Amino acid sequence: MAEDMSIESYLAQGGVLTNPTNVPPRYRAELLKLMATFVDSELAGAAGFADIINEGPGIKERIAAARIVLEKTDNADRVLRIMGEFGADTARYATHHPWTARLERDADIGATRTEHDMRLAVFNYPLQGWADAVVMNLLMGRAVVVQMAEFSMVSYQPLADAFRAIAPIEAHHAELAEEGLAKLLEDGDKTAIQASVDYWWPRVAASFGSAESKKFDTLKGWGLRHSSNAELRNRWTAEAGAVLERLDLKAG
Amino acid sequence: MARFHDLRVTDIHKTTRDAVVVTLEPVNGAAEEFKFLAGQYLTFRRDFDGEELRRSYSICAGTDEGILQVGIKKVDGGAFSTWANEELKVGDTLQAMPPMGSFHTDLNPENENQYLGFAGGSGITPILSIIKTALKTEPKSNFTLVYANKGVNSIMFREELEDLKNLYMGRFNVIHVLEQDAQEIDLFTGMVTEEKCAQLFKSGWIDIEHVDMAFICGPEQMMLGIAKALRDHGLDDGQIKFELFASAQPGRLKRKVASKGSASSANQATVAISLDGATQTITMGKDVSILDAALENNIDAPYACKAGVCSTCRCKVLEGEVEMVANHALEDYEVEKGYVLSCQSFPLTDKVVVDYDQ
Repeated sequence: MAEDMSIESYLAQGGVLTNPTNVPPRYRAELLKLMATFVDSELAGAAGFADIINEGPGIKERIAAARIVLEKTDNADRVLRIMGEFGADTARYATHHPWTARLERDADIGATRTEHDMRLAVFNYPLQGWADAVVMNLLMGRAVVVQMAEFSMVSYQPLADAFRAIAPIEAHHAELAEEGLAKLLEDGDKTAIQASVDYWWPRVAASFGSAESKKFDTLKGWGLRHSSNAELRNRWTAEAGAVLERLDLKAG
Repeated sequence: MARFHDLRVTDIHKTTRDAVVVTLEPVNGAAEEFKFLAGQYLTFRRDFDGEELRRSYSICAGTDEGILQVGIKKVDGGAFSTWANEELKVGDTLQAMPPMGSFHTDLNPENENQYLGFAGGSGITPILSIIKTALKTEPKSNFTLVYANKGVNSIMFREELEDLKNLYMGRFNVIHVLEQDAQEIDLFTGMVTEEKCAQLFKSGWIDIEHVDMAFICGPEQMMLGIAKALRDHGLDDGQIKFELFASAQPGRLKRKVASKGSASSANQATVAISLDGATQTITMGKDVSILDAALENNIDAPYACKAGVCSTCRCKVLEGEVEMVANHALEDYEVEKGYVLSCQSFPLTDKVVVDYDQ
């Protein structure tokens, strides 16, 4: 049996790694970054949405919002536990940072992250009331669906397994948001909702990262990425655009 | 953070000439922590000449056998496996972290599943645990094992597998594929490659169309070939579980290079930073963290929390000294080897050399 295959060529040929002991150093760092990005985004997203629960117009809406907060926190926990197997202090990690912190609504930060956490840029913008939160959840929810499909293929098997379990839960959040938005449109202010779509659309689009990523080839070689940022964004544009069309709204 | 516990060796016996089966018992009331899922592994640590080595070995016992058991095959030049095969004895104490790993599937007595396992050499250990646990827990499920070895003499758990065949008559089937020893059926001689798998599927030895879940544990090349064959025959990624062989773990770690830098009171330090094979030397203030200095100089150093918690920014100090002001992620043995969290590390000496690639 060929026993002298390098981990790098094994990964390049589609091999998967299964525990922290057989992970090369640079792969380890990029894997941890990927996990931190997910955990930080989920924790920041859940924390921001928690404040909105009480603005829900009815008990069904509040249950849906509370459930989303619960499940996003739970999804963060699943991935954080994998970070813990690499040595991260999971208890401290979950509380070391003010996840509710937001910038100004009109701050223009593009795709850059803030200094102190890895949340996607979009989670640095504050929500403005219930309808705005539902729109954000719909657009970002569809983006997460696209991202989960991509990251369910990562070459670190415990993480791929976690994302495969998380994907349908996140997809359901986008469905809840779509139902919620349809209801709001029945008896709500369509102009305000369209304004929210216009606000969030470019910001969610930016969360896919720049089209030119120098690192992509390396990450692809390691099996940590498969489709490019541009491909993922195009997929989201098509899918989220179709949802908006169903609701008779315009994509930004 | 995962902690190490003491385990006492209650039994040790050879399963082949160069592999032992070690039975362990948690001491100091840690039994609860060592409940495991079929297919999980234990990570052991031991000090060899002042250097800590960690090795992971899969548990080969079924979950309801009430014991912890691992199989350890001697690897050429492997300090831990050689020691376990030649010196370890009943009554000794080993240190291990609680079981980890996701090489398993949820079992349910109602399931009527067809499982398929591929093991290469000592890759049998986690699969044996899954076979025993699945057949016992799911009375209506079947398991087919394809087991690759060099020759008859190197087959680990050969008798135990025969016993399982008798115990679960008709529900458990083993196909031994031997590299060197000729067998009655030509198909069972050689290596388990993508082509070999395709032949096994085509010839009807394996009913691939009805397989619900496949498990593969062996060396890299073998896993790639089998996974390709399984995907080509309709299994999706969620139906293929991998566990990478112990031999793929990094070999003995090199000793830390002795520090050459000398302490100084100046405020500036020259720091050489290696990342992705390239080295850049920068001049930085001693009041700036290595990570921030790297980022300011457009070095794309990895980081996430910047609070000493997540360990993403880990690098190794090859020369000089740094002060790590907080550390919630690296363990003592990593620090001893020279690893630091670059977000929390400030130069102490005038010259520092760090490497993110090690």
